[in-house]
Parts: sequence; structure tokens; C-alpha cells
Amino acid sequence: MTPPDSARFPIVQARALSQRVPTADGELVILSDVTLEVKAGDTLAITGASGSGKSTLLGLLAGLDLASSGDIHLLGQRLADLDEDARARLRAGRVGFVFQSFQLLPALTALENVLLPLELAGRTDARERAAHWLARVNLSDRAGHTPRQLSGGEQQRVALARAFATDPAVVFADEPTGNLDADTGARIIDLLFELNASAGTTLILVTHDATLAARCARRLHLVAGRVQSTVSA
Amino acid sequence: MSIVRLALWLLRRERASGEWRVLLLALVIGVGSVATTGFLADRMQRAMRDEGARFLGADLLVTSPRPVETWPANALATSQALEFASMVSRGDAFQLATVRAVDAAYPLRGSVRIADRAFAPGAPQPAQPPTGAIYVDQQLLPLLDAAVGDTVQIGEARFRIAGVVAEEPGQLGGVFGLAPRVFLRADEVAATRVLQPGSRLTYLYQFAGDPQATAAFATALKPALDDTQRVIGGRDGVENLRDGFDKLDTYLQLTALISLLLAVAAIAIAAHRHARRHYDQAALLRCMGATTAQLRTLYLTQFLLLGLLGSLVGVALGAVLQHLLAGLVLPDTLATLPRLGPAPVFIALASGLTALAGAALPALMRLIRVPPLRVLRRDLPPLPLSAWIGASLSGAVLLALIAAYAGDITLVAGFVGALAGLGTVLAVLARLALVAGRGVQRLATGPLRFGLSQLLRHRFDSTLQLGAFTLALFLVALLALVRSDLVDGWRQQLPPGAPNHFLVNIAPEQQAEVGQWLTERRLEASRLYPMIRGRLVEKNGQPIAATLPPEARDSNTLRRELNLTWAAELPANNQILAGRWHGAQVANDISVESGMAERLDLAVGDALGFQIGDQTINARIGSIRSVKWESMQPNFFVIFSPGALDTLPASYIASVYVPPGTHVMPDFVKTFPGITVLALDTLIGKLEAVFARIIGAIQLLLGFLLAAGMAVVVATLLASLDARQQEAVLLRTLGAERVWLAKGLLAEFLALGVLAGLLASACAEIAMAVLADRLFDLPGRVHPWLWLALPTAGALLVMASGWLTTRHITRVPPMQSIRAMG
Repeated sequence: MTPPDSARFPIVQARALSQRVPTADGELVILSDVTLEVKAGDTLAITGASGSGKSTLLGLLAGLDLASSGDIHLLGQRLADLDEDARARLRAGRVGFVFQSFQLLPALTALENVLLPLELAGRTDARERAAHWLARVNLSDRAGHTPRQLSGGEQQRVALARAFATDPAVVFADEPTGNLDADTGARIIDLLFELNASAGTTLILVTHDATLAARCARRLHLVAGRVQSTVSA
Repeated sequence: MSIVRLALWLLRRERASGEWRVLLLALVIGVGSVATTGFLADRMQRAMRDEGARFLGADLLVTSPRPVETWPANALATSQALEFASMVSRGDAFQLATVRAVDAAYPLRGSVRIADRAFAPGAPQPAQPPTGAIYVDQQLLPLLDAAVGDTVQIGEARFRIAGVVAEEPGQLGGVFGLAPRVFLRADEVAATRVLQPGSRLTYLYQFAGDPQATAAFATALKPALDDTQRVIGGRDGVENLRDGFDKLDTYLQLTALISLLLAVAAIAIAAHRHARRHYDQAALLRCMGATTAQLRTLYLTQFLLLGLLGSLVGVALGAVLQHLLAGLVLPDTLATLPRLGPAPVFIALASGLTALAGAALPALMRLIRVPPLRVLRRDLPPLPLSAWIGASLSGAVLLALIAAYAGDITLVAGFVGALAGLGTVLAVLARLALVAGRGVQRLATGPLRFGLSQLLRHRFDSTLQLGAFTLALFLVALLALVRSDLVDGWRQQLPPGAPNHFLVNIAPEQQAEVGQWLTERRLEASRLYPMIRGRLVEKNGQPIAATLPPEARDSNTLRRELNLTWAAELPANNQILAGRWHGAQVANDISVESGMAERLDLAVGDALGFQIGDQTINARIGSIRSVKWESMQPNFFVIFSPGALDTLPASYIASVYVPPGTHVMPDFVKTFPGITVLALDTLIGKLEAVFARIIGAIQLLLGFLLAAGMAVVVATLLASLDARQQEAVLLRTLGAERVWLAKGLLAEFLALGVLAGLLASACAEIAMAVLADRLFDLPGRVHPWLWLALPTAGALLVMASGWLTTRHITRVPPMQSIRAMG
């Protein structure tokens, strides 16, 4: 495996990807013949209308699900060769996530939520790193607050800190501003790209927000599960 | 950080947020009720065993016609006695007596009461009299025209009567043929020179010690004994009590089992809710790279720790509560109840953990199989692949637990079968009831209509809740029914005014005189029954022993002489099971007691031969009948038709009730010196005390079952809390008033409670009909009050616990709830 710091190392490669699910009315095609490659340090926006298959594609690329057909390589590993646990091990500490609904654990404080992936990855400096990343998102003073005590924007900043805390090779973001108002959303986007740039992380995000998509180096537009256009800045 | 530490860390964090409260509460109440039931049952059983030992005089009694030289190794306390028949004389009067030569340790359990005159209560003291003295039964005094202080002769030795035996252990065992008792010092037997080679002797070896040692000793002993030797355990002390003990045992088993099942139901529901609330967490951890093994370790650690914590708290709670409640209900007997044993503590702990394992296993397996994709698609359920494995695994665990509790395999099979059947019937009935509710809903208006529509809309949840409520109500009702029928049954066995004196050896010509004496004093007496002693020797022309398998030849019925009687009228406590009662008509027909018929393989139509004196009397079995041995009436194994035994010399027997405080019996003894009076009033008093204790304890246990039933109701309601909250928030946002919502909720709970009550009534009646017959040998009957009580109790219970668990739903401002739900 090529070291991930090589700028041109492919982080994600998908070839002829299809996803079909059986329904009562026959087979439903969600994704059809999607081919893409994302190299280290790239930023890719997957856009499209609701139901166009954006989130499904994100899930497949991150190894959260297996494609019906086609091939995906994540961090140099062919996902089809790995079982659920092997895919989990591949993600541990090297893949970060940001979700539309934040997905913070309600019982944990802001600091502890950031701490969680570090602890899971067995990092010895977990607490310092968590504090550092919470400071990076300007939430040091809210470290002891639970998600319930934080605003939506603050919760998403905690989620950003959590996503970047393990120094992942790639961060997947699913509609990261979907639950936020325009102003807050814009600030979150700024922060996301700032963190991404400084950490040199690869970023793959799903959005239907054109402004957000425009900030990515590449854009892939899906219509009814098919790639309609690929745009590079 | 290791995954175990991570598990503990998450657990600690969630404790602060109250996330574990529901599951912990279910565990504490569940284990608490199992522990309390177990503790009380253990203490009650040991109390009963002690009671039996007091009646027997020892924990274990071995009788043998020969001295036993070697015993299996044991550290038990022992006492040795020798029993033989001998003439006791004073001047011209003489009487056959049963002499028991005892050592200083006799009896090991209970006490012998010695009085200074006849019919006095006396005081407990050692049964071994001072040197040169004996203690005698009060009936011996008039027979010998003697008083305390007089001297009598036994064989070649003379003894002073130092006191009267007012009470001794084992008094009730076969009272009728017994010659009056004499207690003698074991070291003075030789001086009497009455024992000759060939004398009929009974060696009595008593043992006492802790239950395990005694049981181990009994097990080791049995193979070493031959046909002529018998081992009698503490519980066999009094035959009249044995039936009561057996029923209590069955009842306690059933109670423990039911409280365990209720606990399991509560834990299962709480665990399911808990798992559902952690699907997102599990999915997130999977996204972050946690493997299945890591998730399994994580959640197993948490469940195990929680199980331990809940079980420990439950056990402690059980220990405290059983003590408080025992003191509240049985204040006089608290001091005499044995202390809490360590065994039920471990059993309760193990039960708690096993119940949690069994109940939580399916939920846990679903939790660790949550797909990581759930982080993107919240509606994604965990993989259902291994659900059946989880269900069968937990089924096996629970079955093992039930088996461990019930002990008896038929009880387990019956119970599990009944439960499975019940589950299916309940599911169908609950569905049907909900469909019927649709009709009612059309007629209803406002909040009631809304409440009912809520019930119908969540058909799956409603069926589950209805099923759980019904199960809890049904099980508690079942035990309440068994309890009241059992208690009534016992009360009937020992009604106030049950005979407390037996009059034995009434000569035929004394019948009228005795009858008149009793009538003059307005004493209630039984009929006078003639009594002839005889031995069963033949069946259908063959020696009886030859007709039986070797193991049945040891029967007591064959070894000892039986009390035979004749009567034209069936005695009140007897019931014909097969054949026809002979009445006054059929000569040489007999009626045989059902237990004896079973032991000796006798059936209607068999011809039996009895050795009576030097004659053999042949008779045909005309009927088999059941006898209530505990009725304190003269009871007989064999009743002849009138005319068959008329020519043989008979004496008569009767039982009589002498009200407490009426001192007429000394006068009777003076008037009829030849008639033996057996006073059983102290013994009956003891029997009543034992039954009172049993009844009190059973009431206690029932209280605990109610708590376990409540736990199921609360767990079920809490499980549906999240969904209810979401709906309430939506409705309030849409403009529903608080009062309106509250009324709707109450209407829903009311409907659920009433429906569950009705279903439970039906189930309880059916189950009771089966149980009463199979397990408790009680007559079946319908309980109309149940149909009113259960729906009312159900409605109140569900409404109260429902309102307590969900009331804040209507109070929280919608905005706060929406934010809380994130």
C-alpha cells in the first residue's frame, strides 16, 4: 500500500457501481454504473435531487454497505473482499464522518463525543487531542456541555472536531448543513474547509446546496442514480 | 483504552443521564421479588421442616427390630431408644404398656412435657426420668388405679410414677392400637428382666444436625438398611401434616416460578427498549471502526455489570423486605422463623443474571448486528438474521432456569406448555379484543375516541402491552385463587370444633352408657365405630406378598395389624371413587381406602383374606374410597359390610370435641376407667398454628408477586414512552390542549386495563380448573368475583402506573421535546 501522504494516492476508486434493492413492485435501481476516483487531498461534492442516490453512494464509498455490483477500493483495499468487521477495522481511525443530524451521543459531553473515536482507535493521547480539536472548533468553553445544551451549529462543530480528531485519511460528510440555517450553515462550511485544508484530508461530501458544492474541487451530479456530469474546478 | 474500559466509561456517562434507569429498575424489582419469594420460601420450608422435626423428635429417625452396629460416617447428634411391650402392674391391676427406654438426649428435637397430674399441661423436660422412676401416659393411671407418686411393677423391677406424659413427639403416628406409653431409663431396662431372646423389640435411632448433613446421611443410609428397617424424615413427623407440606411446596415452587417469569418479562421488555435506544450508538461506533467482537464485549460488559448491580440491589432489597414483611404479618413467629440461609442469596443472584441473559439476549444480539449504514438511514433495522438463534438461545436459558426452580419435570413441561399455549391464545385474543375496540371507538367521541384510536393505530405495541398486562394480571390472579382455595381447603380440614379427643377401647356394652354421658354434657361426638384388629394375608386365594413386586412387599399395611370396622353408612369424610358403597345390604363386601388399594394393587372385585385372631375372614372389595386422614375423625383402611364381623370381639372408638376450658375428661376417665382417652387438643393447636403460619406467608408472597406484576406493567409502558412522547409533541404542536391529551392517554390506559382484566379472568378460570385438579387436588369451581375484580384492578393499575410514567409527556413544552428528540 502506498503511504497516504502521497498527494496523488487514490483514496477511493469506484468502478461500474450499481445498487439495486428488491421491492414489492420488482427491483428498484438506486445507483447505476457509477465510476469515480478520488485522490488524496481531493474535495468531491456529490450533488443531486432528493432520491437521486447521493447518500447511497456515500454509504457505499465509505464501506457502510456493499454494492450490488461493481468494485470499490477504499484506502487501497477492495471492499468486496472484506467482511463487515474487516471494513470496520479499515475505517477505524482513518475515516471520519459528519452527518446531517450530527449523531452525537446524548449522554456524553462535547469533549467526550470527540474523545470517543480516539478511545476506540486506542490513542494514548486521546484526551489532549480531543481538547485540541475542540479548541480548533472554538468550543473549549463548552467542553462539559451535553448535546442537549448546545445549539445546532455548536453540535455540528463538535461533530467536525470528532471527524478530524483521529487525523483521518478521508472525511465523508452527508448534508452537513442540512439541519442548519443559512448563516450557521455557511460558518460550518467555512470551518469544514478550513480544517480539511489544514489537515490535508480528503473530503467527500453529499449536498444539494449549490454554494457548498461549488467550494469543492470536483463535483459529481447524480440524476436518478446515474452520473449526469462531472465537473472539475 | 480497552473496549471494557470504554464500556465502563460509557456506562458511567449514561448513568448520569438516567439511561439505564428503566432496565435497572426492572432488574431490581424482578430480582427483588424472586429473592423475597425465595427467602421467604426457604425460611418457611425450614420452619416447616423444624416443625416436622419437633413432631418427630428428630430430623431423622431410623427404626429397626435389631440393634444397628455400624452407621455411615456422620457428625450428627444422636439419641438411642428401645421400645417394647410389657405388662405394668399395681396390686391386682395390670395393663399392657408400650415402654420406651430412653437416654438423656431424647428427644433431639421438640420436647416432652411432663405433668404432676393427669390432664395438666405440664412443663417441657427431658424424657429420661430420674433413677428408679418412670413417666406414664395419663390413661394408665385409672387403668392401674394409680396416682403420681405410686409405685408400679415392670417385670422384676419396681418404679415410682414420677410424672404424667402430657405431650411427646410423634404422638399422632398410629394412635389407635397403641398401648399406653411408659418412659423408662435406658440403663434400667436390664433390671426389669423382661427382655428375652425373641422378644419383639424396636430400636429407635434419632439423628439431628444441619439439613445438608442430615440429607447426605439419609442418602448414605438407605442402601445399608434392609426391609425390616425404616428411615423417617422430619417432614414425615406427623402424617396429618404431610399433605399440607406437599401442597405448600408445590405452591412455593409455583410462586417462585411465576415471580421469576414476571421478572423475566419485565427485564425482557426493558432490555428490548434499552437496545432500541442504543441502535444509533452502535451504528455510530461501527462507523468509527468498532468490530462485532468489540461491540459484543462492550454491550456484554455493560449488561453483565448492570445485571450484577441490579441483582445485588434486588437481593438486598429482598432480604430487607422479607424481614420487614415477615415481622409485619407474622410478628409472633418471626423469632421462631429460621434465619436467612446463604443458598437463596446465590440462587437469587444467579437467577437475576440468568434471567437477564435469557431476557436480554435477543435484544443484545440485535444491538451488535446494527448495520453501520443506519447512520445515514435512521429507519434501517438491525439485521434479523440471528433473531431465531437469539430467541431459541434465550428460550433454552429460561427453560433451564424454570427447570431449576420447578425441580419437577412434569411441572416444568406442564408449565412451559401452558405458557406457550397461553401466549398464542393471548396474542389472538388481544387482536380480537382490539378489533372489537374498533366498534366501541366508532361510538365514542372526543379524547376517548382519540385514546382508542391510538390503541388501534399501534396495533403491534398494543397487542404486546395487552399481552403483558394480561399475563401479569393472570399470573397474580392465579396465585390468589390457588391461595384462597388452598387456605379454604386447609380450614375445612381443621374447622373450629374439630374433634380433639379420641375415646378408644369402649366395650360393646358401654356404648349406650358412653353415649348418654356425652349427651348429658352436650359434647359433640362422632359415631361409635366398632374396631377389630386384623392383618391382610390373602388376595384372590394367594398370599398377598406373592401378588406384589418385591419393592412393594415392604408396605406398612402388610406388616402391621389394620384397624377394621363395619358400617352401613359411609363416614362423612369418605368418598367413593370406584365401585358401590355396600350399605346395609351386601354381606362380606368391603370398602378399601384408595391409597392402600394403590399400594397393594387392589381393585373392585378382588377377594381378600384377613387374619383376625385365629380366624380367616374372606371378603370381596365392593368399593374403593378416599379418606381425609387429617379430619381428626376415626378413619379406617377397610370398612366391612354389617354382619361380617359381628361375631368377633370388638371394641368401639369415637372422637369428641371438648371445648377449651371444659374440664370434663378427668371425670370421664374416673367413670370409665377401662376406656382410653387420647387428648389431641395441644396437637391440634399446633397444627392450627402451622397452618396459620403457612397462610400468613402465602399472603406475603402474593404481595411480592403484585410488585413483580407492576414491574411488567411499568416496563411495558416505559418501552412505549418514546413513541408516545413524539406523538404528544406533534399533537400539541398541532393545537391539542394538555387536558385533552391527558384524557386521551387515560382513556387508552382504561381500555387496556379493562381488556387485560377480562382476558386475565378467562385465562385464570381455565388454568385454575386444570391446576386445582392436577396439582392441588382441590375441587374446581367458578369465581364470579374475579370477573369484576380483575378488570377493575387492571384499569386502576394500568391507569395509575400509566399516568405516573407518561404524565410529563403532556407537560413538557413542545419546543423542548422537539429539541430533546434532536
